[in-house]
Amino acid sequence: MQPGEPVQAAPAPAPADIAAARERHGSGARRVVVTGVGAVSGFGWGVEALWQGLRAGATAIRPFTRFDAAGHRTRLAAEVPAAHAGRLAGHPGEPATAAAGRRAFSLADRFALAAAGEALAAAGLGEALRGLPECAAGVFFGSSTGGMWESEEFLAGMFAGRRGSLRAVASQQVNGPGDAVARSLGVTGPVQTVSSACASGALAIAAALESLRRGEVEVALAGGSDSLCQLTYAGFNSLRSVDEAPCRPFRAGRAGMSIGEGAAVLVLEPLERALARGAVPLAELAGAGSACDAFHMTAPEPEGAGAAAAIAAALDDAGLAPRAIDFVNAHATGTPLNDAAEWRALLAVFGERSRRLPVTATKAAVGHLLGCSGAIEALVTVLSLARGELHPVPAMPADADPIDDACPAALVTGRPLALPAARAALSTSLAFGGSNAALVFTRWTGASP
Amino acid sequence: MVVTALGTAGAHGCGRASLERALAAGAPPPAIEVDRGAGYHRPGGARRALLTPVAALAPWLPAAEARRMGPPSRLAVAAARMALGEAGIDPAWLAGPGTAVVVSTAFGPCSFSEALLRQVLRDGPEAASPYLFTESVANAPAAQIAIACGARGANVTLCQREAGPLLAMARGAAEVAAGRAERALVGAVDEMSPLLHAVLDRFGALTRGRRGRRGRPEPARGEYGCGGEVGRPFDRRRDGVMAADGATVLLLESAAAAARHGRAPLARVCGWGSAFDPSAPPTGWGGGGEVLGRALRRLLLRCGAAPQASGGPGASDPHGASGAPGAAGAIDRIVSGASGSRAGDRLEARVLRAAWGPAALPPVLAPKGVTGEYGGGFLAAAVLAAAVAGVAAAPTAGFGGPDPGLGISPHDGSPLPPPRALLASSLAAGGAAAWVILGSP
Amino acid sequence: MSDLAEVSNIANAADVADIASRVKRLIVDNLHLEGLRPEMIDEQAPLFGEGLGLDSVDALELVVAVEKEFGIKIKSNEIGRDVFSSVASLARFIAGRV
Repeated sequence: MQPGEPVQAAPAPAPADIAAARERHGSGARRVVVTGVGAVSGFGWGVEALWQGLRAGATAIRPFTRFDAAGHRTRLAAEVPAAHAGRLAGHPGEPATAAAGRRAFSLADRFALAAAGEALAAAGLGEALRGLPECAAGVFFGSSTGGMWESEEFLAGMFAGRRGSLRAVASQQVNGPGDAVARSLGVTGPVQTVSSACASGALAIAAALESLRRGEVEVALAGGSDSLCQLTYAGFNSLRSVDEAPCRPFRAGRAGMSIGEGAAVLVLEPLERALARGAVPLAELAGAGSACDAFHMTAPEPEGAGAAAAIAAALDDAGLAPRAIDFVNAHATGTPLNDAAEWRALLAVFGERSRRLPVTATKAAVGHLLGCSGAIEALVTVLSLARGELHPVPAMPADADPIDDACPAALVTGRPLALPAARAALSTSLAFGGSNAALVFTRWTGASP
Repeated sequence: MVVTALGTAGAHGCGRASLERALAAGAPPPAIEVDRGAGYHRPGGARRALLTPVAALAPWLPAAEARRMGPPSRLAVAAARMALGEAGIDPAWLAGPGTAVVVSTAFGPCSFSEALLRQVLRDGPEAASPYLFTESVANAPAAQIAIACGARGANVTLCQREAGPLLAMARGAAEVAAGRAERALVGAVDEMSPLLHAVLDRFGALTRGRRGRRGRPEPARGEYGCGGEVGRPFDRRRDGVMAADGATVLLLESAAAAARHGRAPLARVCGWGSAFDPSAPPTGWGGGGEVLGRALRRLLLRCGAAPQASGGPGASDPHGASGAPGAAGAIDRIVSGASGSRAGDRLEARVLRAAWGPAALPPVLAPKGVTGEYGGGFLAAAVLAAAVAGVAAAPTAGFGGPDPGLGISPHDGSPLPPPRALLASSLAAGGAAAWVILGSP
Repeated sequence: MSDLAEVSNIANAADVADIASRVKRLIVDNLHLEGLRPEMIDEQAPLFGEGLGLDSVDALELVVAVEKEFGIKIKSNEIGRDVFSSVASLARFIAGRV
């Protein structure tokens, strides 16, 4: 083994469950695949920056500069590095008209536009989106604060009796980034934004899946975007949910989350359509499920029953048994309560196999992207299947902080875990307020429908 | 799929009876002066809003439970309880994984967000209140409804401005139609804080009434006695919307389940769809009347409700896949989201005209002259128009004379037969459009 | 319990009593418990679970109020069952900090 090479996993068992899933889907509902992805994260602008950072076990969680850290309880965030001037130029997401260019784009809008542009280009769609029949494309987005960062200055002025420019607050809305993507691409089909805290991105992807299966749209851009803002940063700190150090999911000494920002977009299409135009799917979106704890406004239900129900619903939707899942991209915020509850959920669904089921925690590297987290983690799950590799969490000295006995997830550490034959993967989101969502992806093997 | 319960709170009061009366009479509740004490408002701007009397929510909100709730959560939970109470449904029966919750909000919990930001900026980040933060997130009302009702199915919050309520209804209907939930509590909620009111006014969104010299409001001329600030849907003199707060929560379930439990439906949900106008600026309406009109027409075709020039039964599209099964038959009533917005109502008129083509429009109800804009009143009005004869033939509050450029005159209150199929239509600032087709019960 | 015992002594009893009464006022003013008056709060009674029946978010709200009122900083790992088990234990903790 060379340093940096992935660790080899055990060979995968027979794909009987995948065949059963194909049979179920063949009964009428359209199969949906991912044909392109785009991302902006603390590792930089673009999917490759994200992927290379993740597989290297690097961390994007560092002292932030967006606003003054003085007075906040913590100092770290996974901040998107400053974009170069003209970052939007050349992407299909570039504003189509001069008038549009004069409109205020929030940072969350810019993240979303860049991710959408990259995803479309990767899918080989780009300008072809405009050539689709009316209403054939839709945008399904998640966000928790939209353009709040830009609005904070406007609002500070209002509090002080100053009348600021309305441009800043024009992009404040939570539906801003999703609408901006739709507007810039000339989308005329369904456009909606989910704002269910940490489950937003996953619920948006679930909405896209539903819309595609029903034949409402032919192409869906599904994802999310959120940018750092003082309100959210101070807010999570008021709950003492933020670790002073980079978050350490599943570890005994974990002390809270790390906040991140960015955007992620997945291009989703019916399988037949993708193949007909010569696109090669990255992965199949096999199923989605969601359920609510209905327990407490901030704390997860300790037995993870809501999360387990969401996972079970997603598996059922995908027509797969738990044993078909080969790895999990966990919600894994690093708070004492979340990781414990999430472990209970995994245990409930996967039984004793949970202790051996490979788990990765993307938040350990890029932080918690809030309304975008479900989307960026779904994106990482897709890439993990497509590239046959599960990223490790950032390196820690071996004896620094062991995995907690109370949530002994088989966390990938050290080097990437090679899973070239992984067939199906689970991505989970356990949200603030109790909404849970789960997505099941299966590897594209090139077999005909 | 049917609606079997409806709870609504707004300036009209609590419960459907007060809203029904106001709608049937075409008489909005009095709009009250918004508190200008913080100095956010511009001189000469809009002064009034339709605000829910908060003390009136008390019967549905035990103090111990409500003590940490922000205004949107209080409105939403109270409306959910009103819905169950009026339908005679034991809340315990709703508890479990079979009950989904889908809530829309245009602006989220703005007063708590404002208070939290003030704390952070004035007293420093460490002074941030956990209470305020917890209830400042857009999904707080949906989460509180779930806790109050033990609803452990999917829990989704949508933010899509004026199109949110019908999108929430569609999302909840989709959960039930796909068998992922047995029933769904769907609703819309918004609060109208002084800051939000002032910002909307600065965008020119709100009705300001007739202005005399130096922008001073002129006395009302025989109308509502409120300085002339009136939302005037489709009217020639319309000058903006009347802002409102409030919440509406509906219970959606299958017709079979409703029958099993002996619950009389208020309305059937026959279909739904949405589209987007990319020419719209982020806070306004665009010129995409033709595109949206074609999208609406395709929805009507799919649901067997397409307008016919001859007035006969609607054609249907055998390949259609959107919305619940069950041909609606031709639309014979429209409940329009027209609100008094100059650009919004113009676009709404274009969309409806484009969808109907050469055929005559059925009677158009435009309840936002009564309900105001935001706060869920429109969602309640759409369902009540399917359920209550008086609402289905209501006069249009705020409408005095047609705008010749629009080609639409909303209903004048003359008697009408009860509708068989009703189209509820909403267009959001920023470009989204959402439609739901309801059938009489 | 021994840490808290160490920081409280008879000479500080009057200070602790004053702090306790200010903490009760903070509870009443910040936690919106209907009908509650300071004199109704038993200093030895549990704050969480039984007694006043507060939860984790109430505890955090009280922490912010205490930090502001007494000008102290409370670390996240100090917000635990011992310090916050009752008004009396909280008052002793604060007395050790001011």
